[in-house]
Amino acid sequence: MSIELITFLVMVAVFLLGCFLCKLPVSLSMVLSAVAGALVAGRGIPLRHLVEGMFSYVDTIMVIATAMIFMKVIQESGALDAVSCVIIEKFHKLPALMLCLIMIIVMFPGMITGSSTASVLSAGSIMAPVLMLMGVPMLETACILAMGGILGMIAPPTNLPAMVIGAGIDIPYSGFELPLALLTFPLAFVFVLMFGYKYVKKMDYAAVQAKLNNEPRKKFGFRVYIPLILAIVLMVLNKLVPAFSLGMPLIFLIAAAVGCFTGYKFNVLKMAKESVNSVLPVMGILMGVGMFIQIMTLTGVRGLIVTACLSLPELGRYVAMSVSMPLFGAVSSFGSASVLGVPFLLSFLAKKEIIVAAALSLIASLGDMMPPTALAGIFAAQVVGMEKYTPVLKKCLLPCLMVIIWGVLFIVFANELAPYILFT
Amino acid sequence: MITLIYRLILALIIGLVGWNLFTEKKLTMQLNCAMVMIPLVLRVLMVK
Repeated sequence: MSIELITFLVMVAVFLLGCFLCKLPVSLSMVLSAVAGALVAGRGIPLRHLVEGMFSYVDTIMVIATAMIFMKVIQESGALDAVSCVIIEKFHKLPALMLCLIMIIVMFPGMITGSSTASVLSAGSIMAPVLMLMGVPMLETACILAMGGILGMIAPPTNLPAMVIGAGIDIPYSGFELPLALLTFPLAFVFVLMFGYKYVKKMDYAAVQAKLNNEPRKKFGFRVYIPLILAIVLMVLNKLVPAFSLGMPLIFLIAAAVGCFTGYKFNVLKMAKESVNSVLPVMGILMGVGMFIQIMTLTGVRGLIVTACLSLPELGRYVAMSVSMPLFGAVSSFGSASVLGVPFLLSFLAKKEIIVAAALSLIASLGDMMPPTALAGIFAAQVVGMEKYTPVLKKCLLPCLMVIIWGVLFIVFANELAPYILFT
Repeated sequence: MITLIYRLILALIIGLVGWNLFTEKKLTMQLNCAMVMIPLVLRVLMVK
């Protein structure tokens, strides 16, 4: 057995022990496993490499923190409630369209923060009662939230696994928007209709209307939507006008600052602290993943995995990718993207790398449905008031398989799709 | 100019993470906060 394989096994073992036996947060377990890996490989405690690894995701951390502040502002100001009311009021006669729009709202926090947890806990917790009011059972509602969270995390503009995979082979996060939109939105619409349509088509609109929070719309009128519109306009300008390149963190903060004056008043400092608090575990995981990957690279473990992936036959690569990436997500979907996503992307370099990286990020995202961590499934079950999350995972098995098939199809036909969906 | 703005944003995030560090009750979460702060502080000081 090679020293690289021994190091890898020790790293995985220490991580699992930290997570499950010592009940440490995932981030700290990753730090311990990185230190253990370095010690086993005879590198001592390489402080410089550990700090170097932390820097891999500093930009991403800024996006997550500022996006969460923006998300909380539009939640506290009443904008999210107002958008939900408009959608139900305008589209209740078209239940299929209404469900699709509700799915977009559920996905929205994930789309801007890149975190499925943010989706499920913020917009998900607002839309869950609305869905249940419309007659969708508890289990199906939880499934909609869980799959919405996962697909929201992958949908543009912010997709952390794609950034992580791209960073591994120095692809800038640019030109991903359309491939990611095509990978996520069709699936999201299929899933929400699959879980909710048969219940919503029999909805009693009068009963639902009575329970909606219509107050922000009536009280503040159009101005309650201004932060949302501003954020979208600035994002578009950011992409279209290079001279106007503000960056996502600044855009989120500008829109959040405006949002403080367009709706309900709230304690801004307390809200900002709570926002950062809710994303601290994700920020810590990214730091841990950075260190984990840095030590894997330092000790040759990453090379071992890359070589193993590259030496697989083509069919074997597809099977290995479809099985190993969601399974590794039990550790962390970001870890899966980094440890397995990068070598798989290297093994498919003959194909258009942006489409392949986007599809790999979709497959890696399923890690958030993989027990025991299963962040999306656990939080979705909690939000709807279910005691156990296993029924959610069972019910989501078919959608998860569909996600894998959809991702694999994009990789297989990446070169054929490229002229139509890549514009960089 | 944009560098200065981003250093200010980083300082804001450091302040919020630091605030959480001191109000967090669990030691593991305090360690998590401290870990997150290390690269942010180094970046805001332009050390790296």
